[in-house]
Amino acid sequence: MIERICGICSHAHTTCYTQAVEEALKVDLPPRAKYIRTVVAELERIHNHYFWLGILAHEIGFDTLFMYTWRDREIVMNLLELISGNRVQYAMNIIGGVRRDIMPSLSSEIMKGVKILAERMTYYKKVCLDEKTILARCVNVGVLKAKDAISLCAVGPTLRASNVRRDVRADDPYAAYDEIPFHVVTYDGCDVASRIATRCDEVLESVKIIRYALEHLPTGSIEVIVSRVVPSAETIARVEAPRGENIHYLRSNGTDKPARYKVRAPTLANLPALCRMLIGGYVADIPVVIAGIDPCFCCMDRLAFADTNTDKTWSWEGERLRKYGVKWYKKK
Amino acid sequence: MVQEEIVRIFQILFFPGFLFLVLAAFFYEWVDRKFVARLQNRLGPLHTGPMGLLQPFADFLKLLSKEDIVPGAADRLFFSAVPIFMLSLPLTALFCIPIISSVALVSFEGDLIFVIFVTTLFVISVFIGAWSSTNRFSTVGGMRACLQMLGYAVPMTVAMIGPAIVAKTLSISRIVQWQTTGLWFVLTQPLGFAIVAICFLAELQKIPFDIPKAETELVAGWLTEFGGKKLALLKLAEDLNFVLAGSIMASLYLGGASGFWFAPPFVWFIIKLTVCTLILSNLRALFARFRIDQLMRGVWKYLTPLALLQIILVELIPW
Amino acid sequence: MISVSMEKELVKHLVRKAATLRYPFDKFPPVEGLRGKHVWDREKCVGCGLCARDCPSSAIEMIGKGLTAELKINLGRCLFCGQCEDGCPREAIKLTQVYELAESDRKKLVLEFKREST
Repeated sequence: MIERICGICSHAHTTCYTQAVEEALKVDLPPRAKYIRTVVAELERIHNHYFWLGILAHEIGFDTLFMYTWRDREIVMNLLELISGNRVQYAMNIIGGVRRDIMPSLSSEIMKGVKILAERMTYYKKVCLDEKTILARCVNVGVLKAKDAISLCAVGPTLRASNVRRDVRADDPYAAYDEIPFHVVTYDGCDVASRIATRCDEVLESVKIIRYALEHLPTGSIEVIVSRVVPSAETIARVEAPRGENIHYLRSNGTDKPARYKVRAPTLANLPALCRMLIGGYVADIPVVIAGIDPCFCCMDRLAFADTNTDKTWSWEGERLRKYGVKWYKKK
Repeated sequence: MVQEEIVRIFQILFFPGFLFLVLAAFFYEWVDRKFVARLQNRLGPLHTGPMGLLQPFADFLKLLSKEDIVPGAADRLFFSAVPIFMLSLPLTALFCIPIISSVALVSFEGDLIFVIFVTTLFVISVFIGAWSSTNRFSTVGGMRACLQMLGYAVPMTVAMIGPAIVAKTLSISRIVQWQTTGLWFVLTQPLGFAIVAICFLAELQKIPFDIPKAETELVAGWLTEFGGKKLALLKLAEDLNFVLAGSIMASLYLGGASGFWFAPPFVWFIIKLTVCTLILSNLRALFARFRIDQLMRGVWKYLTPLALLQIILVELIPW
Repeated sequence: MISVSMEKELVKHLVRKAATLRYPFDKFPPVEGLRGKHVWDREKCVGCGLCARDCPSSAIEMIGKGLTAELKINLGRCLFCGQCEDGCPREAIKLTQVYELAESDRKKLVLEFKREST
């Protein structure tokens, strides 16, 4: 169910959830499961960054690049389909491991696909950093200085493009990231152009991670059997989703259902920074800057009511919202 | 005498008049869409007609059958008049372009200036349409269209005068006739040709200059409130404008409708027009959208001086 | 001011085959292991109800218990995660590679598996 939070980072959210539950259960994953999780997570990152590049190209009116990146995105989606059996909702994570194994034949298939993806991304990076019309729209647009980025709690590539070396994969390694060597990509342009460069380089870095992980894939089982009932505990899990840091909070009460669960998706964390970036820009820059943080609006759905006459704000409980919805539809 | 009159009426109504021009507009919309799709590794229109050839016409019919909505706050008179006005503008201008022979349907000394004037009027009607629809996206789009025109109109006019100076006439038909004896102007004035191509991209509001309609910023820009029949007419007007742009380029710089080798002038005109539209479509696929201030800066800093330079070159080197 | 770095690529693509599939006429062959529509083997099912209990979105409803149990799967709620397939002790429930499941009526999305073949 958790993976329906977001269509693009479905693996990151499930990884986060399973980590929270595994911590509560105090189980250790078999190394093979960890590596497979890492491979899928990195493929997902490639998928997301290709997707994002296309969106940004569309926002600045460069539809050709949009078509090309989305066409090449098919490659990574097909790979994920081969691995997990679905193109978007991978459902690879289960509590205590992963659902499907990566066979050697599949692994060579992934290597092949990843090679094409890396070549294409190198090309797109060249295009983006050469093409004057793209640069005209991106350089010095949506500037977020490193100091502001930290004080406004930006996360993910948005933060790293402001030259802050912070990545959950490196700072608080989960899955197999503590065993795999990789670079944290940072750029110091602080603008949309350096966000493009950061994400392009992250794709290339992900390709390296996938290659390393597949070459060093440990043998062994891919899951451990866990009990259905989770003892009462309170855990927080962090995962570096493609868009930034994902935080899941879990409180269990000794049954098989969580007592409280809270998700903080990366887009929500990037919103204050977004407000800062927009100050002093042009109207025409607004879509570019908003797309620049790679927003996922369903990830950050929060509902609040505001009465503009009295300046009062309040929020509704889920149950009340449901009742309102039922009433509204009946009236229709 | 009577026969001549009949031929003339036939020419105005059917070929190369209204009917032909409207069909050409649909055809070149298809060319544009198909070509850009192929450049982007897509298929483009496919199902209506052979290779989707009838798709623009099908779109037109579909829009005609839609509900016609006028926003409550809109200025009804202008809002309804603008589409008709806009459709008539490029049609009028196209009568001045020689299509089947080197003499146009309507030809008089100074019709080049008239055509330039009509392209400018097109923007004015865009502004009126945007203003009368009272939508904030439309208003911003209309303002941008006007600003954009202030930018591109000057270099475009200056560059288009280049051929006129050499041919010593302000009539498009005469310029075409001049080129049957002399060299094509694209060979002697390549700079002017490039400037006119870029300016026409801006005039047609195509990427990279689709600033007045930037879909990710302004929904549909000045078109936002238009729907149904009005939108159909506006789309047709835009297609006609596309044909107009292509045929001005073909006539001024590529020799237009002049007989050559085996084929009659008309065939050559169509070939040249297709080449020009393909150039415009290709440019459309090549760039990202500019911002309005960047466009203005670029146009005034580079295009206008270059256009003036072209005129000076024309004066210095008499071809 | 303007560079044309993409032009070569554009021309290259002009002669290449388009990437688009003419979908209703040409289809991608579904890959092995695609998680699509369910099938149920009534011979194997013992009606333990694990699938219904495990289903994260409560898409599966088991009517009755034991060897006479019948299954109702609401594809509108299903996540196609494959938990029912993995959890079934007798491999009675399976996901096939059928992926074109869109319907215009919600009621048609409910798969009803009956003991007696009618």
